[in-house]
Amino acid sequence: MKTRKTKLTNFLAILLTLFTFFILYLPIIVLVVFSFNSQRFPAPWSEFTLDWYRELFESEELWSSFFTSLFIAITSTLLSLIMGILLLFFKANGGNLKKTVPIFYSNLLIPESLFAISLLSFFTFFDISLGFTTLIIAHTVLGLGFTIPILYTRYCQLDPRLVEASLSLGATSTQTFFKVILPHMRPAILATGLLVFILSFDDFILSYFTAGTSVQTLSLYLLTMLRSGISPIVNALSAFILVFSSLLVILFFTPKIRSKVF
Amino acid sequence: MEAIKRIRREKFFLIGSPAIVWQCLFFFLPILLMILSSVVDSTTSTFTLENFSASLSTTHLSIILRSLTLSLSIAVISFLLAYPLAHFIIFHAKKYKSLFLFFLIVPFWTNILLHVYAWFFVLEQEGFLNTFLLTVGAISEPIHFLNSIFAIVLMMVYCYFPFMVLPIVSSLERFDKRFIEASYDLGASRFQTLFKVTLPITMPAIRAGFFLVFIPAFGEFIIPELMGGDKHYFVGNVVSQYVLGNNTETLGSAFMILSALVLLTIGIIIYNLFNKMIKRGFR
Repeated sequence: MKTRKTKLTNFLAILLTLFTFFILYLPIIVLVVFSFNSQRFPAPWSEFTLDWYRELFESEELWSSFFTSLFIAITSTLLSLIMGILLLFFKANGGNLKKTVPIFYSNLLIPESLFAISLLSFFTFFDISLGFTTLIIAHTVLGLGFTIPILYTRYCQLDPRLVEASLSLGATSTQTFFKVILPHMRPAILATGLLVFILSFDDFILSYFTAGTSVQTLSLYLLTMLRSGISPIVNALSAFILVFSSLLVILFFTPKIRSKVF
Repeated sequence: MEAIKRIRREKFFLIGSPAIVWQCLFFFLPILLMILSSVVDSTTSTFTLENFSASLSTTHLSIILRSLTLSLSIAVISFLLAYPLAHFIIFHAKKYKSLFLFFLIVPFWTNILLHVYAWFFVLEQEGFLNTFLLTVGAISEPIHFLNSIFAIVLMMVYCYFPFMVLPIVSSLERFDKRFIEASYDLGASRFQTLFKVTLPITMPAIRAGFFLVFIPAFGEFIIPELMGGDKHYFVGNVVSQYVLGNNTETLGSAFMILSALVLLTIGIIIYNLFNKMIKRGFR
């Protein structure tokens, strides 16, 4: 009796899980399928075509916004990593970060949209024209909120005997930092960098408020296209972004990389 | 000797400081500026609470209340969906565990606009859902799914779901399965084990997931705008309209500070409730 009941519960659980996955994937699949349809939505499926992709890849706007997003993501990732490493350098030379690290958690305490709006009025107040600079500033704040807590945690998990050995063999604290600590931190730094890159590349809220009118990131390009209504080109664009971002996420979630962060 | 040490430490502090400077300059200063501009009269530059009294209208308060209700419901709904799913994947999916996890995570770290767009196809007048329901015969004419509170809630749960799932999954992954065995050995049923053992132990992760959903959902503005058809306003929409508009910046900042304070207060209350639950669980 008990086993039959257990079996039934298990069966229901499997059904529920498969149903959830169905709901999660249904829209994405429909979206991608209709990017290959020669007729515009809501026409039913007629025949397979790559025309929409051709049209999309010929548009200059796509590539300029793609490279803008790429440039901003790379710059803000590098900036936040460098600043994170410099902060660790201070720690390695006897600094105390116990009270410093929590200030970077505060990014999670207010909604990103409200922060983005404050940043926008800050830029207007000081007459900083919106564009690449403001985008990079905003995305770097986003990046610091992840790099510093993660790198600090990893630093504290390093075996202290490594540093002691290096120091007692006569290396200065600077030498120890560059020859012992940094090489040991390298996997964690790379993994964190990838995480920040993904977050920045896919970010919509910060870009929406801090990009101004002259610069367009991929998210903003998608928004403009989307506002003009359903069209197979938007499907092609979405499929393109989906594939590019998913590849990055897959890279990040390979066990080797993910274990360096979480 | 002490002095040299101090100078050395100051030099290294200087090297390490850019991150702190950046954070203060571009995170805390803008927020401080927002607070200041909400209590300073823009023409006379004197202290005033006028903006606050202007923002304390019933319309504004009801918008804050709506945002709170929305974000709380999103957090609760995504918990109710995420926990059974995570529980099943970690404890019962066996060899398919990593495959399930993979498919759960990968597409949902991509752009949220993309998912909003994808749902248009499902919810449209002639979309997937209506076509399906018509073919099955459940309805006789298409339902307007879009531009409704239903579409907003559905879309937000969909987009915030991963933030709830991830902490729960990683906490269940680290969960010591001997607790469950011990519970069964002592005669507890499956449900007793779930409510007296598994849930209390994973409560910190539930709290993390709850806040990861609740806080950003409170400020959400693009999903209500795209899915609600300009009919449903929440804090994020109103603040951005005020701040982007002419002559309403100060009112916007007062309203933003007001809603942030409400969010903070409710957040602290919920945090304490969670703490109570965590402590009680181990008794």
